[in-house]
Amino acid sequence: MLSLSVLLLLPACASFSPDGGMSVTADIAARHLRKDVVAIRNDEEAEAARAKVDDLLKRTLNADTAVQIALFNNRGLQAAYNELGIAEAQRVQQSLPPNPSISISRLTGAAEIEIERKIAANILALLTLPARAEIATERFHRAQLAAALETLRVASDARKAFYRAVAARQAASLLEQSSAASSTTAELARRMTASGAMNKLDQSRQQLLHTELTTELARARQRATSERERLVRALGVSGKDLAFKLPARLPSLPNRPPSIKTVEDEALKGRVDLKIARSELDSLAKSYGLTKATRFINVLEGDFIDKRKEERTTGEHSHDSGFELTLQVPLFDFGEARAREAEQTYMQAVNRLAQKAVNARSEAREAYRNYRTSYDVAARYQRDVLPLRNTISEELMLRYGAMQIDVFALLTEARQRIAANANAIEALRDFWLASADLQAAVIGGAGASSDSSSNTTAMAGTSEPAGH
Amino acid sequence: MITRRNLIGTSAVLAGAAAISGRVQAASIPEAVTTTSPAMQPPLAPTSGPAYQPVVTLNGWSLPWRMNGEWKEFHLVAEPVERELAPGMTARLWGYNGQSPGPTLEFVEGDKVRIFVTNKLPEHTTVHWHGFVLPNGMDGVGGLTQPHIKPGKTFVYEFAVRRSGTFMYHPHADEMVQMAMGMMGFIVVHPRDPQERRVDRDFVFLLSSFDIDPGTSLPKVMTMTDFNLWTWNTRVFPGIDSLVVRKGDRVRIRVGNLTMTNHPIHLHGPHFEVTGTDGGWVRESARWPEVTTDIPVGGMRAIEFVADEPGDWAIHCHKSHHTMNAMGHDVKTFIGTPQKDLTAAVRKMFPDYMPMGTEGMAEMGSMEMPMPDNTLPMMTGFGQFGPLEMGGMFSVVKVREGLARDDYNDPGPYKHPPGTVAYEFKGAVPDATRRSGVPANPSNVELSVVKPGPKSHSNH
Repeated sequence: MLSLSVLLLLPACASFSPDGGMSVTADIAARHLRKDVVAIRNDEEAEAARAKVDDLLKRTLNADTAVQIALFNNRGLQAAYNELGIAEAQRVQQSLPPNPSISISRLTGAAEIEIERKIAANILALLTLPARAEIATERFHRAQLAAALETLRVASDARKAFYRAVAARQAASLLEQSSAASSTTAELARRMTASGAMNKLDQSRQQLLHTELTTELARARQRATSERERLVRALGVSGKDLAFKLPARLPSLPNRPPSIKTVEDEALKGRVDLKIARSELDSLAKSYGLTKATRFINVLEGDFIDKRKEERTTGEHSHDSGFELTLQVPLFDFGEARAREAEQTYMQAVNRLAQKAVNARSEAREAYRNYRTSYDVAARYQRDVLPLRNTISEELMLRYGAMQIDVFALLTEARQRIAANANAIEALRDFWLASADLQAAVIGGAGASSDSSSNTTAMAGTSEPAGH
Repeated sequence: MITRRNLIGTSAVLAGAAAISGRVQAASIPEAVTTTSPAMQPPLAPTSGPAYQPVVTLNGWSLPWRMNGEWKEFHLVAEPVERELAPGMTARLWGYNGQSPGPTLEFVEGDKVRIFVTNKLPEHTTVHWHGFVLPNGMDGVGGLTQPHIKPGKTFVYEFAVRRSGTFMYHPHADEMVQMAMGMMGFIVVHPRDPQERRVDRDFVFLLSSFDIDPGTSLPKVMTMTDFNLWTWNTRVFPGIDSLVVRKGDRVRIRVGNLTMTNHPIHLHGPHFEVTGTDGGWVRESARWPEVTTDIPVGGMRAIEFVADEPGDWAIHCHKSHHTMNAMGHDVKTFIGTPQKDLTAAVRKMFPDYMPMGTEGMAEMGSMEMPMPDNTLPMMTGFGQFGPLEMGGMFSVVKVREGLARDDYNDPGPYKHPPGTVAYEFKGAVPDATRRSGVPANPSNVELSVVKPGPKSHSNH
C-alpha cells in the first residue's frame, strides 16, 4: 500500500491547457504586433475567424488589417499551430506515470498456501518520469516559440506583400499618366508632321518614345498583378475574397523615424529564435543530466559605445551607439561516465546559440542601418526631390507663358516629374519594407522572403532630351 | 568766370580723390553726377561756354559739366548699375554714372574738353572716343595707346573737339564683356554757330543688345548672335519713350549701333534724309530720301525730316525679331496643328496650360500669362485700337499740333480726324476666282534635280 501512496505522491499529471499552448504566441502577437491570433480547432472558432476576416475584407486594406487577415486566414500558419497541438499531446503523454502492474501470486506448498498481492510499478520509468516530463514540457515550449516565430514570419510576409502590392499599383498608375503624356506628344508630333512643322526623324523619335512607354506600362501592370498575387498568398484568401480593395497610395513617411537606440539589445532579448535556441540548450542539459555547472562562458561581449561624428564641411552629424551585451551559457562538467557524445552534442548547441546571437546582433544592426538609410532616401524624395520637381514644373509653366518653351518641353518635364514620383514611391516602399525587416530582425520572423532590395523601375522620360 | 554756375548745383569735391596728372593738379575733380532714373530728362541747356541747341536722350540724360579756364570738364564713373529695361524687368549691367547707357556728353565744335574717368568696376577699363580725331594717346585703346585704368583709379582724357557731328564713347578694354554688359554712351558735338544745321528737336539713342535669360538679370556676355533683348538706350518697348514732336518742327534723330548686327531703322509717315554719319555731315547734294536707313555695326546715322504729317508714326528696326522681347528660339511652330482636344490631357499635368500658336502667335500680344520673375512678355503694349504685339526696338514718333517748344510730354493717342481710319467692309465678299490661263499645277517646269551620291544601291 505504501507503494500506492508513493504513486499518489508523484507530481500531478500534466493536462491539456485550455488554450492549446497558444498563450505564448498570442502574447507575442499582442505585444509585438498588436494583433489577435487564433488556432482554429472547431467550427465555432472557424466561423468566428471567418466573420472577422469578412469584416476586415470589406474595408480598404491597410498594413495592419492585412497582417490581421493573414493571421486569421493563412492556412500555413494554422498548420504550424497544429504542430503545437501535437507537441502538447506529447507533453501530456510524457508526463503520465507508467501504469502500475498488479500481480497476485499464489504459492502452494504441502503445508501452506501463500498468496502474495503486489502492485508493482516500473521503477525505472517512474524514476525518470520527472525528467521525461520536463523534457516534453521543454519541447512543448519550443513548439510554442516555433509557432510564435511562424506567426511573426507570416505577419512580416503579409506586411511586406501589402507594401509591395500597393507600391506596384501606384507605380503602374503613375506610368499610365506618363503614357498619357507621351501619347499627347506623339499625337502632336503626328499633327505637326501633317502641318509641315516637323520632320519624319523627330516624329519617329516621339513615336518611339511613346511606344517604349507603352511597353513599360504593360510591364508595370504585370508587376502590379504579380505583387497582388503574392499578397493573395500571404493573406491566404481565395474566391470572392480576391476582390479585396487596396489603397491607391502607400502610407506617407513618418515625420521622424522612430529611433531605436537599443536595437541590438532588443534583438538579443526579444528574438524568438534565440529563445528557442536557449530552450534547446536547457533541454539538452537536462536530457544528459548535466547538472553541475563549473563555469560560464560569455559568448557575447561588447561595450557601450556612444559615438557622435560631425562632418566638418556639411555640418551633418551622425549618432552611433553600441551596447554592452552578455549572453552567458553554462558549461558543465562532463563526467567520465558521460559519453563524449553528450559533450559534443551540448557544445554543438552552445556554439549554435553563440552563432545565432552574433547573427541576431548583426542582423539587427544591418536592418536598422537599412531602415535609417531607406528613411533618409525616402525623406529626401518627399522633402527635396518632389518639391523641387514641382518648382521646376511651375517655372517651366511660367516659361511656357513667356513663350520661351513649347508644349513638348512641358510634356518632357511631365514625364520626368512622373519618373521622380515613381522613384519616390519606390523609396517609400523600401522604407516600409525596411521597417518590416527591422521588426523581424528585433523580434524574429524574418522569412526567406525578406529581400527588401528594390528592382529599380525603368522609367522613360529621364534620358530623353527636351523635345525639339 | 561763370564756372560757378556750371557746377549744376554742386561745388563738392570728390572726397579722397587720388592725385591726378600734373597738368590738372591745381584743379579739383568735378563731381560725378549720377542718376538712377530711366526716365527721359529734359534737354540740358548750356549755361556757360558757347550756346547750342541741346539734344534729347531717349530715356536718358546729358552729363552736366563745368568750365575750368578754357577747359570743359566732365566726370564719368564706370560702375555696376541697375537698369530697368521696361517696367517689370531690371538688368544688372555695367554703365556710367548710375545708368546704362552712360549720360550723353554734349560738346561744341572747338571746345577743349577734359574728361575724368573713374573706374569703379571690378576690372580695368578705358574709354574710346568713337569717331573723334584726337591725339593718339587719347584714343583709349587699352595697351595700345594708354595703360589700362585699374579699378579705383581715375584717368584724364584731354582733347580739342575739331568738328561737329555724332559720336559715341565705349570701353576699349575687355571690350567684348564691357559692351555686352552695357557700357556705352552718346556724344554729340554741336556746331560753333547755333544756327548752323539748326533743328527744333534732336533725339539721340544707341542700339544695344543683351542676352538675359528669362528669370535672370545678368546678361550672358558670351553670346555672339542669339541675343534676346534688342534695346534703344538699354530700354525695350513698351519701356521706350515716344519721340514727341510739334507739327512743323524740323526733327533730327541720331542713332548709333553698338550691337553685333545691322539695324534697318524704319520710320512710318514722314520721309527723311540721312544727313550725317560718324564720319561727318552729308553734303546736301549727296542726300537721298529714305524711309528706312540701315545703321551698320559700329556706325552712326543722323536722319532729318520735317514733321508735317500729324499722327502716331511707328519707328522701329525692320528685323522683325528685333521688335520682340525675349523669345524661345527653339519653340516649334504650331500653326495648323490643332491642339484644343489635347488640352485636357496636358492640363492633368499642368493645370494652367493653354494651347498656343495653332492660329499664329498674335494671341500672345493680348494674353497675360504668368511669367518667370524679372521677365517681359515677348510681344506686348496696347494702343487705342488694341494690342501692339511688339517689343524690343520699337517706338512712336508722335507728331502733334500746338505743342510748346520744349514740351516732350506724351500727348496720348492720336485723335484721328473722322473718316481717316481703316474700317471694316460690311458688304458681300465674293468668292475668289482663279484667273483663267494660269495653270493650277505648274508641273512642266524644265528643271531636274539630281541627288548626289550613287544612283543605285544594287551596284554595291
